[in-house]
Amino acid sequence: MEAPSSHLSARGAPRWLLSGRRSSSSAGTECDTGRDMKTHFRVCRFIMEIGVKLGMRSVPVATACVLYHRFFERVNLAEYEPYLVAMSCVYLAGKVEEQHIRTRDIINVSHRYFNSGGAPLECDKEFWDLRDSVVQCEILILRQLSFQVSFEHPHKYLLHYMLSAKSLVNRHAWSRTPVTETSWALLRDCYHGSMCIRHSAQHIAIAMLYLALNSYGVELPVGEKPWWQVLCDDVTKEDIDAVITELLQLYDMEAKCI
Amino acid sequence: MERMRKIKRQLSLTLTRDRAGGGGRTQSDTNNQEVASHSDSEVSLHSSGGLNGRPSSSLQTLLQSYRKPRLGRSLSSYLNHANRLEIVHEDVKMSSDGESDAASSSDDVQSPVRVRLRNKKVSTEDINKRLSLPADIRLPDDYLEKFNLIGPSLFEQPISRQLRRVSLSEIGFGKLETYVKLDKLGEGTYATVYKGRSKLTENLVALKEIRLEHEEGAPCTAIREVSLLKDLKHANIVTLHDIIHTQKSLTLVFEYLDKDLKQYLDDCGNTIHVHNVKLFLFQLLRGLSYCHRRKVLHRDLKPQNLLINERGELKLADFGLARAKSIPTKTYSNEVVTLWYRPPDILLGSTDYSTHIDMWGVGCIFYEMATGRPLFPGSTVEEELHFIFKLLGTPSEHTWPGICSNDEFVAYKYPQYRADTLSHHTPRLSIEGVDLLSKFLKFEGRKRISADDALQHYYFKVFGSRVMSLPDTASIFSLPGIHLEKETLRKTTEPANSPNRRRTFFLHHQGLGSSELT
Repeated sequence: MEAPSSHLSARGAPRWLLSGRRSSSSAGTECDTGRDMKTHFRVCRFIMEIGVKLGMRSVPVATACVLYHRFFERVNLAEYEPYLVAMSCVYLAGKVEEQHIRTRDIINVSHRYFNSGGAPLECDKEFWDLRDSVVQCEILILRQLSFQVSFEHPHKYLLHYMLSAKSLVNRHAWSRTPVTETSWALLRDCYHGSMCIRHSAQHIAIAMLYLALNSYGVELPVGEKPWWQVLCDDVTKEDIDAVITELLQLYDMEAKCI
Repeated sequence: MERMRKIKRQLSLTLTRDRAGGGGRTQSDTNNQEVASHSDSEVSLHSSGGLNGRPSSSLQTLLQSYRKPRLGRSLSSYLNHANRLEIVHEDVKMSSDGESDAASSSDDVQSPVRVRLRNKKVSTEDINKRLSLPADIRLPDDYLEKFNLIGPSLFEQPISRQLRRVSLSEIGFGKLETYVKLDKLGEGTYATVYKGRSKLTENLVALKEIRLEHEEGAPCTAIREVSLLKDLKHANIVTLHDIIHTQKSLTLVFEYLDKDLKQYLDDCGNTIHVHNVKLFLFQLLRGLSYCHRRKVLHRDLKPQNLLINERGELKLADFGLARAKSIPTKTYSNEVVTLWYRPPDILLGSTDYSTHIDMWGVGCIFYEMATGRPLFPGSTVEEELHFIFKLLGTPSEHTWPGICSNDEFVAYKYPQYRADTLSHHTPRLSIEGVDLLSKFLKFEGRKRISADDALQHYYFKVFGSRVMSLPDTASIFSLPGIHLEKETLRKTTEPANSPNRRRTFFLHHQGLGSSELT
């Protein structure tokens, strides 16, 4: 059999896709992981942005990011074009979450992302090659992940926890503060880094709610157990802190990435 | 307040995304080759990184210096320079592609690790135990030899996932040439199904070949089916033995079962022995209860998707429309179950799917087994509902709260039927059987009996209590006293084996809403 990824070659990739790749002779390691994290950060932002433009719901976008992180958990970033992998992750996530998105749309939106204000992509050989690459790369991802492509996300837990928290808090205090919007936004930001695959869905959901509540000084009534343990019995304060620390690291990185 | 402002500023990350990626946009032409470097051998090589997070950095750089072109041959030479044989050992094995294709077959890769050769011979049983293979597998002779060369040291350390995968590949898993194609069983838009034989076990298999040249890539039904079936291990669910990737297709290797329930019905002249009806229903519920416990809905139950072997074992197949169910608030696309087995609430537009969506279909199949006729063979939604209401009575606010505010129901303007007595239609069913049937056929989803509760129903009392404590992967026929009754074979006028009717279950790759392939 030929290599399945022969389509993923440079001839198929337009110049805008070959963006900012570091050279193959990477030496350092510490520096490497930092750089990899930054690349992943940017690519995930790309996933989220084209996700919004493609009208994807929150969970399919989250699935695309998890697919992306799980793929690069297994392979070396230097070997694969991350933006191409990202496009295929978006495509695959659409299939997994039953919100099918066409390759054509993904390619056009990605083109627009890299060339805002530029001419639209011609429907020429480059386009068809690129579409083949996206489809081939999807198979590659499926193989790498051994078809384990459906994930449990924190979103549903966050919703449940939020409803429970809301019922415990003074109605006016709740409506004065945007805890809901904040925790939802925080949750989306988690997907910029591989933290989204290193913590359980419940723990992330609890930590997001915790951070949002604390940011606005909303206090839940004190009971026998802390509120987070009432909502999710296997979570500890350390777990929450670990998630929040990693999220704050992502925010720190934001400054360096833009 | 200051803290809040800080958080808000940080949140702008999400909101001011329009300027994103500025830094990432710098284009560089020098890296063109970088993108080109994808090949099978690399996939396997780099997947070794997933072993314990990442391989040690020195190893990684070493590996990087041995890029694709020389990979196969140069590995052993590279090994001579490496001191850490244990780790290297695993990476070397990865050079033979972990899971698939013919070309990168690994036979020519010399195993460089000949250290610690002991006197202990490695037997087939050792290897089978080691890799958790079926007991009836026949390993190729050269494979055994190779293992003896590597030495029994392999058996002293825990086996890694990668190593297992490679070992499986050397045995012949994941390779097309391991399976002999026999007859074609059927063909659909995306997939062709063949009967085949495994050279490893000499067992029959069903080869479901999914074409990939289609512009949409891997069909989503196939992706869902594989991702679900990999996690489902149960005596009443069809086993996915192997997945073979090639350039043009994806082949799923399933266990082979002689016929589906539809054929079984035909072959015995539409009168299944009443004892066997009970056996089949019990096994159907057992498989379904297992799925539902795992929050997996089948969504497409019908006789064509239930496979039966000579022993009488029934297995659920075709999970193409099934998916992992998460929370009941979620809605799914409207058109999923074949019309005849589709519950009335779904027919009337409900998208609130839960496990009870499958239970209506179980009732319909139960009736069909007991009488030999489909229960509600409607060809349109309107006709389907008409059949249902004719038997169960047109629902009222009393029998189905909220129904009068359902616009679709009101618009159809059905005549006011009174509920018929079920037992008049099912002369072969006992009182217990009719009672159970009526519990499946409830208008409202949440009132339908669950698979778990149905298993406890006194209709199944004759099986005793031991069937309830069987392990998931044990067949009910492993218990003494449970056996299939002989069917009286009756020749029907139409040929029972017409290929067009065979195995429709395999061919549902047209996506949602096109499951009426009966």
